[in-house]
Amino acid sequence: MFAIVALAIVATYVRAIAFTPLEAMQGAAQKIYYIHVPSAWVAFLAFFVVAVTGLLWLWLRDDRLDRIAESSAEVGVVFTTVVLVTGPLWGRPVWGTWWTWDARLTSTLFLWFVYLGYLVLRGAIEDRALRARYSAVLGALGALLIPFIHLSVYMFRTLHPLPIIGKPSRPSLPSEMLVTFFLALGTFTLMYVALLRARYRYATARDRALDALEE
Amino acid sequence: MPRNEGYYYAAYALSALVYVGYAVSIWWRARELDRKAR
Repeated sequence: MFAIVALAIVATYVRAIAFTPLEAMQGAAQKIYYIHVPSAWVAFLAFFVVAVTGLLWLWLRDDRLDRIAESSAEVGVVFTTVVLVTGPLWGRPVWGTWWTWDARLTSTLFLWFVYLGYLVLRGAIEDRALRARYSAVLGALGALLIPFIHLSVYMFRTLHPLPIIGKPSRPSLPSEMLVTFFLALGTFTLMYVALLRARYRYATARDRALDALEE
Repeated sequence: MPRNEGYYYAAYALSALVYVGYAVSIWWRARELDRKAR
């Protein structure tokens, strides 16, 4: 699967760099959009999976669900890291500042800290059932930030622009840019699935090794 | 049109570094686990 993902990433980068027109007002910096926004959408998907699998664990007490939640949280933190790295690199040439403490940026940083805390919490609790229970609650509560982050640009005055695709009306992008965006979104979603699978396999092997040590 | 290619190159390079670095970290941890198990 990693070979397919690698090919898709190369295709996305080539399409974005060489075959997508420059935006007249922002110049080349606008192309950060094809990395920044899909990474944000996939990070939200990852944390949504953490919340759902955590809540399902509270109901079914199946360790596989806890391992999916753990894996998805780690992958989600990686995607959010890319959002927080590429955002300032886009903001500096377009807004004139690397960072501003407005609602969208601050709440995204807070989301990153919540799930970083989630991973630290998991590392601090040895008892597997207790760890799964506390993590499930924190994972579900953390995901409540996602709709808030999405709506923050409507609720507060922010430097961050309103969505140009994830909105009720038609996307405000020319078709060449829209194709690149959806290619990037598909590629990043595929990358999420590949990383989640690899991380889940590692978590399963680690738990089996720990079980063998205890026996 | 503004000349700001540097930011765009930096964003693409850094994002690739983060994603590849993370994929390598999973592979590395799995390899270490396998080595310890043996």
